[in-house]
Amino acid sequence: MILLKRIVFILVVQLVALSCCSVCAQTARIEAAYLQTDRTVYIAGESVFYKLYVLEADTKQRSECSKVGYVILRDATLNSSVKIRVKIDTGISSGSFILPDTLTSGVYQIVAFTADMKNYGEKHFFHKEIMIANRFDKELNFKLASSNTKESVSTKLPSLEPNIQTNKKVFGAREKVSVRLSHLNSKGSVAVSVFEDPKILSTNKSIVETLNGLVAASPDKKVLTGYTTENSGKILRGTVVDVTTNKNVSNATVLVSCIDTIPNLQYAITNSSGMFQMLLNNYYNGKELFLTIKDVPTNKHWKIKIEDEFAQPDKWNPSVISEKVEDKEYLLKSQNIVYINKSYPMKTDSIERPVSNAKFICPELYHCPVRTVYPSLFVPLDSLPEIAIELLPLVSINKYNGKYRAHIMNPTTSLVYNYNKEPAIFLDGVFVDDINNIISLGSEQIKKIDIVYTERIFGDLIFQGVISIISNSNEISRTTPAEQSQRLKNDTINTGKKFGIIDPVAIQNKNFPFFKQLLYWNPDIKINDTGTADLEFFTSDNTSDFIIRVEGISNDGTPYNASTGIQVNNQINTPKK
Amino acid sequence: MKYYLYFSFLLICISLNAQNNLPSNSVIDTVFSPKLTGESFFENKQYIGEQYFNNDWERGDILLSTGEMVYNKRLKYNGLFDEVIWMNDTNFGKYQLDKSSISDFWLNSTTGKTIHFKHINIDDTTGGHAIDIFTQVGVEGKVSLYIQRKISITGEANVYINNSLFYFNNIGESPLYFIKNTSNHFTKLSRISQKVLLKVFPEKKKEIAKMMSDNHLNLKTESDLIKVIGWLNTKVFP
Repeated sequence: MILLKRIVFILVVQLVALSCCSVCAQTARIEAAYLQTDRTVYIAGESVFYKLYVLEADTKQRSECSKVGYVILRDATLNSSVKIRVKIDTGISSGSFILPDTLTSGVYQIVAFTADMKNYGEKHFFHKEIMIANRFDKELNFKLASSNTKESVSTKLPSLEPNIQTNKKVFGAREKVSVRLSHLNSKGSVAVSVFEDPKILSTNKSIVETLNGLVAASPDKKVLTGYTTENSGKILRGTVVDVTTNKNVSNATVLVSCIDTIPNLQYAITNSSGMFQMLLNNYYNGKELFLTIKDVPTNKHWKIKIEDEFAQPDKWNPSVISEKVEDKEYLLKSQNIVYINKSYPMKTDSIERPVSNAKFICPELYHCPVRTVYPSLFVPLDSLPEIAIELLPLVSINKYNGKYRAHIMNPTTSLVYNYNKEPAIFLDGVFVDDINNIISLGSEQIKKIDIVYTERIFGDLIFQGVISIISNSNEISRTTPAEQSQRLKNDTINTGKKFGIIDPVAIQNKNFPFFKQLLYWNPDIKINDTGTADLEFFTSDNTSDFIIRVEGISNDGTPYNASTGIQVNNQINTPKK
Repeated sequence: MKYYLYFSFLLICISLNAQNNLPSNSVIDTVFSPKLTGESFFENKQYIGEQYFNNDWERGDILLSTGEMVYNKRLKYNGLFDEVIWMNDTNFGKYQLDKSSISDFWLNSTTGKTIHFKHINIDDTTGGHAIDIFTQVGVEGKVSLYIQRKISITGEANVYINNSLFYFNNIGESPLYFIKNTSNHFTKLSRISQKVLLKVFPEKKKEIAKMMSDNHLNLKTESDLIKVIGWLNTKVFP
C-alpha cells in the first residue's frame, strides 16, 4: 500500500512538471508586431516607408526568434495590393514599398505578422489603416476614416515621452531645421518622420497604446495550425493530395529545384496528415521554383497544394466615416504635389538600397567528379535515346510499356543498379519529373551532359546515378509540367528604396519646384550615451503645418512616443485666407 | 487498481500534451538540417589490419563547405582512402561523403574526447604538389600542426581461406605531419625529430633549440611535437 502511494505521488509530481513545461513552451514564444509608417495618408504611386518591430508579447523586448516577416496591404474586399516578405534582424526590419499607381481611392489596411503569430489567429496580427487617393481621382467619392480608437486600457506600461526641441517653431521655405531629441533611453534607436499634418484624425493606435493593449489582452490559447517559427528563413508549406480520393498523402517526397547550370535540390517529406514544411534555401529567393513529387505510384494522381503565406481570410471593415470637405482638400493638394514631383523629379527623392553582397550557396546534389559529354562535337543526333546509345557509355534509355525509362549501369559490373529505380535526371538544373517530356531533345538543343555513375545519396534520398543535361536555351521552361508537378515564383526579400535626404545644393535653384509632404524619414536614429540624438532636414516650398513624430522601443522594451509641430511659411506660396 | 488508473491518466495527459505542442526545435532541426551528399561505400576487406582511424561508429558533427552544420551523425574516418564514411540511421547504408562538401568534422568518442578533423585543400603549384586531405587538428594558432591519420600498405600476404589462396595487403598507421607556418605555408614531415623541426623555422632555430633544452624535451613523439608547436605559439610567435 505504501509502495502504491509512493508511485502515485511520483506520477502526480511528473504530471505537474509536465503541465508546467507545457505552459512555459506556450508562453515563451508568443510574438507581437508593430509597424510604424512615415505617414497615414498617401497618393497611389508614392512609397510607404516603414519600420517593423517584432516583440515578445510578454516582455515587450525584441524577439530574436522570427527572421522573416510578412506585410500586406489590402482593401475592404480582401484584395491584397501589396505582399512583401521582409528580413527581420533582432526584431527590427525597415524599408519601403511602392503603392501601385492603379489603386482606387479608399481606406486600406496594412497587416504585419510572422509565421509564429499565425498560430494564434489573425487577431494577433498587427493592423493599421491608411488612406490612399488615386492621383487622377478628383471626385474622391469615398468616406474617410475618422478616429474610433477605443478607450485606453487599464494596465499601463512604463513609457518614455522624448522631448523634441527645434531651433524655432516657424520656418521659411527651403530652410534648415535642427532637431534635438532628449530624455531617451541610451540603449536603442528611434524612428523619426516629419510630414505635413493631414488634419485627418488617425484611427491607429500609437506604439504605447499598442503595447499597453498587449499587456491587457488575456492570454490566448494556441490555434493548432503548427506553424513553425521562421528563425532561419522562409518555410514553404503545403500538402500532397490524392486527387482521386481527395485525401492527403503521407510520406510523399516533395522535391524543389530551379533553373541553374548546377543540378540543385531540396526536399521535404509529408507527415502523417499529408503536410510538408521545407526551409527554403535563400538561394531560391526570387527564382521560379519547380516542385514535383518523387516516385508517384502508377495509377495514382497526386498533386501538390502550396499554402499562400500571405492568405488573410478574416474580413475587416474600414473605420467610419467622415465626409469633411477640408479632408478632401488635403488629398487634392497631395495629388497636385505628387503631380509636380512626377514632372520635376529630384535625384535624391529616393535612393536604391545597395544590393546585399551575400552570396547564397546552391544546394548541390553532388560534389564529385562527373563524366561530361558535349553532343555538339559529334554527328547530330535527333533524340535522347539516340544520344544515349551513341555517346553515353553505360546509360540506356529504352521504351517499356510505351514509356521511356533511363538506367545507369554500375561501371564495375556493367549491370543496371536496379531496374525499378531510375537515375535522377536534371535538365538545366531542374529535377525532371518525367523523361518522356524531354525525350525529343537532340544534339542541337543540348550543350552538355554530365553523368555520375555511382549510386548517390542526398540526405535520405538515394538515386541510381545522375544525368544532368544543360540545354542551349533553357529548354526546361518549354516543357509541360507533369500532373504531380507545379511551378511557382518565389518572392524575394523586400528592402525597397531608402528615403533620400535632401541635398542642400540641389535646392538652391529657386526656379526648380520643390514641394514635399514628407520632409524627413529615418527608421534608425541612434541615441548617444547622454540619451539624446540630433537630426537636420530642410523645409520645402510647401506651406503648411508639419508634425515631427518620434517612435521607438528601447532594448528593455520601453516604448517611446512623442510628436510636436512646426510651421512652414513660404511667402510666395502662402494660401490666401 | 488505483495504480493502473493513475498510470492511464498520466498516459492520457502526456499524449494530450504532445498533441498540443508544436514540434520542438530539435525535431525541426533534424527535418530542416542541411543534407549530406555522397555515394554508396562498399568496404574492401582484403586487408590485414585496420583501415579506419576509429574502428567503431562514432557520433560526430560535420561543418559543410557551405558553412552549414550537420549534427550527430554516425561517422568513421577511413585513413586508407582518406574518406569520411557515414552510416545513415534511416536505412543503415554506408556512404562515402563527398570530400569537397566537407570543411571540418568532429568525432565524439565514447570516452568523451572530441577529435577535430579539418579538410586541407591547397593547390600549391609553387611547391609542385597539391594537398587535398583530411587531417586531425593537433594545434591551431599562428603556427599550426595538422596530422594526417594515414593508413598505408606495408606489405602483402597470401592467405588460405577454405582451401583457396587469397592475396591480402598488410596495412598500418603511417601518420604524416603538416606544419603551417606564420606565412601560411605548409611543410610536410614524415618523421618527428628536432633536426627536421628546426629546418621548418630556420630564422628561429636558436630560440627553439634553447626552449627545448630548457624544458628538457627530446623531440621524439607526437605528443612532444604538439607541446613544442604549442610553445611556439605562446613563446616564439606570441
